[in-house]
Amino acid sequence: MIPAIDPRYDARKKRARVAMFITAGATVVSSALGGTRFSGWQWVPWVLGLSLIIVFCAISMNAGGGLRARRGMSGISGLSGRGRGAGDRSDGKVAHRWHGLVMVSRMMPGPAGRRWLAEAESVLWEIAATRRATAVRSYLLSGPRLAAVMWAHEGLRWVRPGPRHPR
Amino acid sequence: MGLRLTVQVQLVLQALLRDPAREMYGLELSEETGLQPGTAYPILLRLEHEGWVTSRWEDVNPRAEKRPARRYYRLTAGGAVQASTALAGARRPKGAALRHLAQGDGVA
Repeated sequence: MIPAIDPRYDARKKRARVAMFITAGATVVSSALGGTRFSGWQWVPWVLGLSLIIVFCAISMNAGGGLRARRGMSGISGLSGRGRGAGDRSDGKVAHRWHGLVMVSRMMPGPAGRRWLAEAESVLWEIAATRRATAVRSYLLSGPRLAAVMWAHEGLRWVRPGPRHPR
Repeated sequence: MGLRLTVQVQLVLQALLRDPAREMYGLELSEETGLQPGTAYPILLRLEHEGWVTSRWEDVNPRAEKRPARRYYRLTAGGAVQASTALAGARRPKGAALRHLAQGDGVA
C-alpha cells in the first residue's frame, strides 16, 4: 500500500531548493567577483544582495505563479486535497499519481503540457471515484507518447518557415 | 500527414457525429465511446490538428462551480463532412474490438 503524502514533505523540499539556490548563487558570485573586482570585504553586500534576489525568485517560482506553473487553469488544485470535500478525498494512491501527472505534463512543451494537465484535472475531478484510478493510469500511460508527438510537432513548427506562435 | 482511422478514432468521430452541433467535454466523450479519458485526449488533439474538431475552455468560475472548467469539443463544418465520408469508407470495428475497448484498456 502506498502511504498518503506527507504535507510537510513539500515544504521541506521547497526549503531545500531555496537553500540550494542560495548556496549555488553565493558560491558562483563570490568566486567570480570576490577575488577579482572587489577589494577587502566589498563583495559581501553584493553577494548578500544577489542571494536575496535568488531567494525571491526561488520563492515566487515555488509559490505556484512561477515560470512553469502547472496547476492547470482552474485555480483549484488537482487531486491532492485542496478544494475537495473531506468525504470525497481520494485515496493516497490517486493523490500520489497526481504528482505523476504533473511530472508527465512537464515532459511536454509548455502550453501543451498545461492544457493536458488542466484537461486531465477537469476530467478526473468529475469522474466517478471508482473509475478515477483507472483514468489516471490511462493518462499516465498515454502521456509520454503524447509528449513525444508534441515535441515532434514543436520541432516541425520550428523547422518550417512561418509564424511560430503556439496554438 | 493524413489521419489514421483506428477503431478508437472511429468511436470518437461517431460520438461527435451523433449531433455535430453539440459540444462535448472529455468525460462525456469518454463515457459515450467507452474509451479511457487518457486515450480519448490524444485522438481529440489529433482531430483538432487536422481541423476536424474545434475546442474551447468552458467560461465558468471554478470557485463558484466548485469544479475545474471543462474543455468542450465540437466538429467543425468541414470536419463533420470529412468525418462522415471517412466513416462511410472505413471498416466497421468488429464486436470483439469494441468489447475490448469497453473494458477500458484500449490505447490509440
